[in-house]
Amino acid sequence: MTTQRLPARPAYSNSGQPGFPTLPTDRPAGGWFTRRHRQRMVRADLLTVIAWASVAAAVALWLADGGAASISSPAGAFTAAGIVAGLAGMDLVLLMLLLAARIPYIDRTIGHDRALEFHRKLGKPSLYLLLAHGVLLATGYGLAEGLDPLSESVALWVQVPDMWLAFVSMALFIAVVATSLVAVRRRFPYEFWYVVHLLTYVAVGTSLPHQFSVGGLFAEGTWQRWYWLAVCIATGAALAYFRVLQPFVATSRHQLTVSRVEVVAPGVVNISMTGRRLHRLAGSGGRFFIWRFLAPGMWWHPHPFSLSAEPAVSGPDGAGTLRITVRNLGSGSAQLVRLRKGTRVAVEGPYGLLSTEARVRNKVVMIGAGIGITPLRALLETTPFAPGEASVLLRGHTGQELYLSNEILELCRARGARLFHLPGPRSRGRSGWLPQEAVSGGYDLRAFVPDVADSDVYVCGPAGWADSVITDAKDAGVPEDQIHHERFDW
Amino acid sequence: MKARGTLAAALASAGILLAGWQAGTQAGGVSTLASGTTSSGTTGSGPTAAGATGASGTGSSGTGASGTGSSGTGASGTGSSGSASTAAGTYKGSAVQTRFGAVQVQITVASGKITDVTALQLTDDDRKSVQISNRAAPLLRSEVLSAQSADVQTISGATVTSNAYLTSLQAAIDAANL
Repeated sequence: MTTQRLPARPAYSNSGQPGFPTLPTDRPAGGWFTRRHRQRMVRADLLTVIAWASVAAAVALWLADGGAASISSPAGAFTAAGIVAGLAGMDLVLLMLLLAARIPYIDRTIGHDRALEFHRKLGKPSLYLLLAHGVLLATGYGLAEGLDPLSESVALWVQVPDMWLAFVSMALFIAVVATSLVAVRRRFPYEFWYVVHLLTYVAVGTSLPHQFSVGGLFAEGTWQRWYWLAVCIATGAALAYFRVLQPFVATSRHQLTVSRVEVVAPGVVNISMTGRRLHRLAGSGGRFFIWRFLAPGMWWHPHPFSLSAEPAVSGPDGAGTLRITVRNLGSGSAQLVRLRKGTRVAVEGPYGLLSTEARVRNKVVMIGAGIGITPLRALLETTPFAPGEASVLLRGHTGQELYLSNEILELCRARGARLFHLPGPRSRGRSGWLPQEAVSGGYDLRAFVPDVADSDVYVCGPAGWADSVITDAKDAGVPEDQIHHERFDW
Repeated sequence: MKARGTLAAALASAGILLAGWQAGTQAGGVSTLASGTTSSGTTGSGPTAAGATGASGTGSSGTGASGTGSSGTGASGTGSSGSASTAAGTYKGSAVQTRFGAVQVQITVASGKITDVTALQLTDDDRKSVQISNRAAPLLRSEVLSAQSADVQTISGATVTSNAYLTSLQAAIDAANL
């Protein structure tokens, strides 16, 4: 087994390393991160409460209007159910938009990937509610007028202003959710996905007029109208600010340009960039950004990549360099190999929770595979730990795939972290994340890191591999709060 | 931690729903009271005799206990006499059901012309419908009086109410043999 082991050096002091974070020498009883973690948990609970309360509030709007009193006939019951379904469905759609708006508060609390996971989970329920809304109302209105639901739908389309837009909106929602589900399974290109999701805005936009003009609940002069308007406008503003304005501001503030493209392994390049005010990118927030290289044929392609080296500020006004490491994963990243020096770069971010922000314990374990190693390198640079309280496990099919391993070795030496290299074909049986050699030799996670249960575990690598690591970490007694994983292959 | 968040969310949601319910039952009481007071009589009596012109102006919305069976049949309004020619008098149109409530109008005829249109019932299922009706009824009335027929433009934003209004009106015109 070619496992290379770097013993920790507790005696090593990192005070001589100005670049590394220093911790207060007196450690509080609960640890350095307890308070911050508790605050984050409170924020997460708050977000849960807000999400559920918003759905309840949407239904309460209708209740407060005396809606429940209208359920006296079958027609009334259908209509009532239809209205409630529409309100709840629209509320879920707004929540989905907010989850995808990259709002820093949400990002710092549950992380970008979990926000998107919730976003995905809400897709089907909201579509079902909106479908139910249409069917129930057509039935309810039809019963009241003695028409079958289909004729009623035609009558609504023809006679009632704004209703044809609502029908268009419904068709778009069905199209968006259906293609999303298929796209997830068939792995359509990212661009396809992106265009389909732009349709969501059209779907929401075309659904708005009928909510205010046809629905009696939001008639002019009602407080319900104001509430609904406020919620819709706030959502739109959040999207416009965080997804459009903020990236523009960040791009013009940092003035990033490609300064160096260097091949580090076959198909893997380091892209270094220079820019201004980089200290503002170097907070304790997430470490992944969305990059757009402003060159012909490339500018429209957003690339989500984590930093592989922390922003290094060298000049006045935060002038300095930062770096990402990219593997040739798809048609988009293949182009990056041909990237020229001097190309300007648009940036969005930082996003994600694979950072110090997520820490819970004083000890830390980083487990990375392949290109997933590179974000851990940046984390290893900045996250606070005392010498001897960090372990780094790097995994690849071959030694060559342990990207940046020399830099990581240097960092581990300087900061006093244990380092394990785990190359080789993967285990077929249990502990699929480890090399076959290690598993047959009787090694598991606890063999490498005996105190793993008392550590933060950062996992970065392909989804299936990461799942295997997380399973083993849980088996080793690591509480879920301490497992930090970010999907980077979406 | 998760349990705490879920519990708090459930409590908050339940509280909001309860508050909504509470507000709803109170508002419901008020609104029925309000619609009860706005109902102007004029219903109940059959076709009124000539000259009487029940008119009673103000196309107020009449819910309350105004009978008006929901029969969407043809002209339920009966002429004042069996004579074929148009006689002066008031004629009721059919009550047309819409999903926002029933609509029924009454016309007043003098010397073969429509001299007035009164809304006996207007869409009033909710505040919005009342609002629409209050806006549309006077407009429709003036249009009908100048056109002397049910062949007038519907009011935009009040299509359902307009259509029902004009259907009922046509039934009344048919009944009056205009």
